[in-house]
Amino acid sequence: MTTITADRAPMAGMKVYHLKLGMWVFLLSEVMFFTGLIGAYVILRFAHPDAFGEPGVVLNVPLTAFNTFVLICSSVTMVKAFAAIEQNDQQGLQKWLLATILLGAFFVGVQAWEYTLLTTEGFVPMAESYHAIARGAAEGSEVIGGPLYGATFYTMTGFHGAHVSIGVFCLCFTLWRARKGAYTAGNLGGVEIMGLYWHFVDLVWILLFTIVYLI
Amino acid sequence: MSTTEKDIASAVDAGGQHDHHEIPWIRKYVFATDHKMIAKQFMFVSLFFLVVGGALAGMMRFQLGFPGQPMPGAGILPDAMMAPTPDGAIMLPEFYNSLVTMHGTIMIFFAIMPLLVGLFGNLLIPLQIGAEDMAFPRLNMASFWLAVPAGMLMLASFAVEGGAAGAGWTSYAPLSTSGEWTGVYLGQQLWLVSLTILGFSSLVGAVNYITTVINMRAPGMTWFRIPLATWSLFVTAVLVLLAIPILAGALIMLLFDQTIGTGFFRSDVGGEPLLWQHLFWFFGHPEVYILILPAMGITSEVLSNRARKPIFGYHSMVLALISIGFLGWIVWGHHMFQSGMNPLLGTSFMISTMAIAVPSAIKTFNWLGTLWKADIHLDVPMLHALSFVSMFIIGGLSGIFMASTPVDIYIHDTYFIVAHLHYVLFGGSLFAIFAGITYWFPKMFGRMMNEPLGKVHFVLTFIFYNLVFFPMHNLGLQGMMRRIYDFTQYDFLQPLQPMNQFITLFAFALITTQVLFVINFFWSISKGEKAGNNPWHSNTLEWTVPSPPPHGNFAQMPTVFRGPYEYSSPESDDDFLPQTTPPRDGPGPSSGVPEPTPTPEGAEA
Amino acid sequence: METGEEHKSPPYMTVFVVLAALTVAEVLFALLFTGLPKFWMAVGLIFMAVWKAVLVAMYYMHLRFEPKRLWILVASPIPLAIILVVVVIQEIF
Repeated sequence: MTTITADRAPMAGMKVYHLKLGMWVFLLSEVMFFTGLIGAYVILRFAHPDAFGEPGVVLNVPLTAFNTFVLICSSVTMVKAFAAIEQNDQQGLQKWLLATILLGAFFVGVQAWEYTLLTTEGFVPMAESYHAIARGAAEGSEVIGGPLYGATFYTMTGFHGAHVSIGVFCLCFTLWRARKGAYTAGNLGGVEIMGLYWHFVDLVWILLFTIVYLI
Repeated sequence: MSTTEKDIASAVDAGGQHDHHEIPWIRKYVFATDHKMIAKQFMFVSLFFLVVGGALAGMMRFQLGFPGQPMPGAGILPDAMMAPTPDGAIMLPEFYNSLVTMHGTIMIFFAIMPLLVGLFGNLLIPLQIGAEDMAFPRLNMASFWLAVPAGMLMLASFAVEGGAAGAGWTSYAPLSTSGEWTGVYLGQQLWLVSLTILGFSSLVGAVNYITTVINMRAPGMTWFRIPLATWSLFVTAVLVLLAIPILAGALIMLLFDQTIGTGFFRSDVGGEPLLWQHLFWFFGHPEVYILILPAMGITSEVLSNRARKPIFGYHSMVLALISIGFLGWIVWGHHMFQSGMNPLLGTSFMISTMAIAVPSAIKTFNWLGTLWKADIHLDVPMLHALSFVSMFIIGGLSGIFMASTPVDIYIHDTYFIVAHLHYVLFGGSLFAIFAGITYWFPKMFGRMMNEPLGKVHFVLTFIFYNLVFFPMHNLGLQGMMRRIYDFTQYDFLQPLQPMNQFITLFAFALITTQVLFVINFFWSISKGEKAGNNPWHSNTLEWTVPSPPPHGNFAQMPTVFRGPYEYSSPESDDDFLPQTTPPRDGPGPSSGVPEPTPTPEGAEA
Repeated sequence: METGEEHKSPPYMTVFVVLAALTVAEVLFALLFTGLPKFWMAVGLIFMAVWKAVLVAMYYMHLRFEPKRLWILVASPIPLAIILVVVVIQEIF
């Protein structure tokens, strides 16, 4: 083990180790990415409010609220995984990582199920349903889906879901490495940055759920 | 070992006793993780795309100089591009639109950006801050190997049915949303996919650069001792980090509009075409600063060194870089003055655009201050750096015209804009790239580039370049619009035909002259005069190591005692004083190196 | 890893309870207060959502215990996001 001897200056910068700083910097770009997508939704909704549905009319709020709770739980299990390895508890780490994976996969599963329900109802991201309903629609009837509402909904939630899926995949990789003993209390960067990514994905969902499902 | 200690330990381990098993050829040259090799990879690929972009411009200029004439040698091109006639092949208007689009796209994304950010970022950042490599070498490798398929997709789009993208490099909706209007279907989608992949490449590069500069500076390398080249690349990386994701989102939404029938930007289904413009330019304006800031950084290094004088106003140079980085986010509307925006909003964009001229002007005056009464060595890098300053001034001045909304409404989308952008991107960025390549060539290859040949290349390029682009100011003021296949269809523009022909002929000369650079480059790699560690007598850290530097760069972690621009300093017998040379009276309290704290052996630091 | 470890374990479970409570509060607020003007509904919901997001960032993502300089870095995209959305809404609206 290399000792930091007297003539070596302490590490420059923020005293945040490379992997963690790098992950935070990457997450900033993700903030901008979701800003673009969610921003487009907000802007289009201001410009064409009638093309969008009222909360709860098309989208299943109770189901998604439950899913939100699931994702928050997965953040807790992730944090417990990190706390475990901080104490060098290998069993705990693996147990809580597995729990996070299962909860994350469950979230994606519910979202996929939600998508199938919506698409079979006619809520699609393209123009056909819009025109069909607009053409045959009775005065004052609801417009379901379409090139604005459907497009923005599926793009935002779809990319979020893709990020969760990638997260689940990376968590599996992390669990695999954990089983091989790669992490210790002194070497837990890989777990910590996985946690940062996972919490970020949860954070985005917190905002997305509110903006898309409740407002 | 804790994660933090591991980072420090690997830095300590740095160059010295690297237990060096031979790296297999494929890991050294192909899937390289060494930042210097990745820099060279970016360089070779980007120079190739620079040539492609130039060829596309040559074809455009042929059509503009000799409208409707058969193009010599174009018979080999397919019928989709050139209409075969008994006299020869004549360019089709649709192909001209693709040329315009692809020239811009390739030059910006596949030539200038990877040269400035990929080559110089990778080459200079670790060396100038005293690090052994980037923070994430494998991520660095991924950054390069993402750019390659992006480039391949872009080139492949020429070969598909309908040809390459034809909606301009800005790809405005609703034109770009459907092949119905451009005649381009798959090509437009390949363009979107290619740029999304390239965006990801740039993004991971930015993460690497930012982490490296923040965390891996050698002892004594405080923020205000970092050379301006690295500073400019750091600010650029922050712009890349935050702007590219907006572009990515917009590209994805446009791709959905084109393929699945969503309506983000399509007015025929209730979408907002203007939303595309806002999203694109919100990215697009920081993008143009991405294309100029590293060039400014390179210029500062070369000017100071070749004038043997400290850069005038180093602190204000840094603050100017940071201000440009900030202000660049709130000027994007000046690309959209004709879009019908609220005049109040237009006014605020006008004001912020004029404001951003101030830090650029500060930098320009500082360069002039650096040159004032200096011991100027007029060698090739200096010649290119000087022309950066003068051409950038011209480009910047024409920018002031555009900043003023009423004037811009007249000159928007005319050749006045084409002149401006080429003055800043060619006269600015490209000359800085030539300066940088010539200056750091010995560090990359251990040999100097040929000086006389370099001077001939410079003089001819400079003359031809000005003859090509200066008259475009005039063409624009007289009403010649951009991206037009045949301007002679308008009576009032027919008198501009001789000037266009003049420009075309000198454009051919300009393109041909670049052969001299290519010859110089390849000849010098093997036959150039051998260079030592520090042929330019420079102060920065990269010149303290061999040319080219070994894997790991520094045999021992360097210690920095002063800023990078101590030229002609009274403290030195020479006209330069490297950053790592210990002061004559030993490291004092002013040296910036922390007082050594006694640590018992074996204890945690 | 030395940075910021000399503190007691953060109150993870407390934060979880608050997050769960806020989620329930949001849903109830959206479902029950339908008489409220849309604007105030949105303000209330966004307030709660941001509160949750800040809790996740501060405690689960550990920002509370990181160097203050990291906070500045992390906050940097927020003004940009606001500028983009606000300006374009003015424009297109």
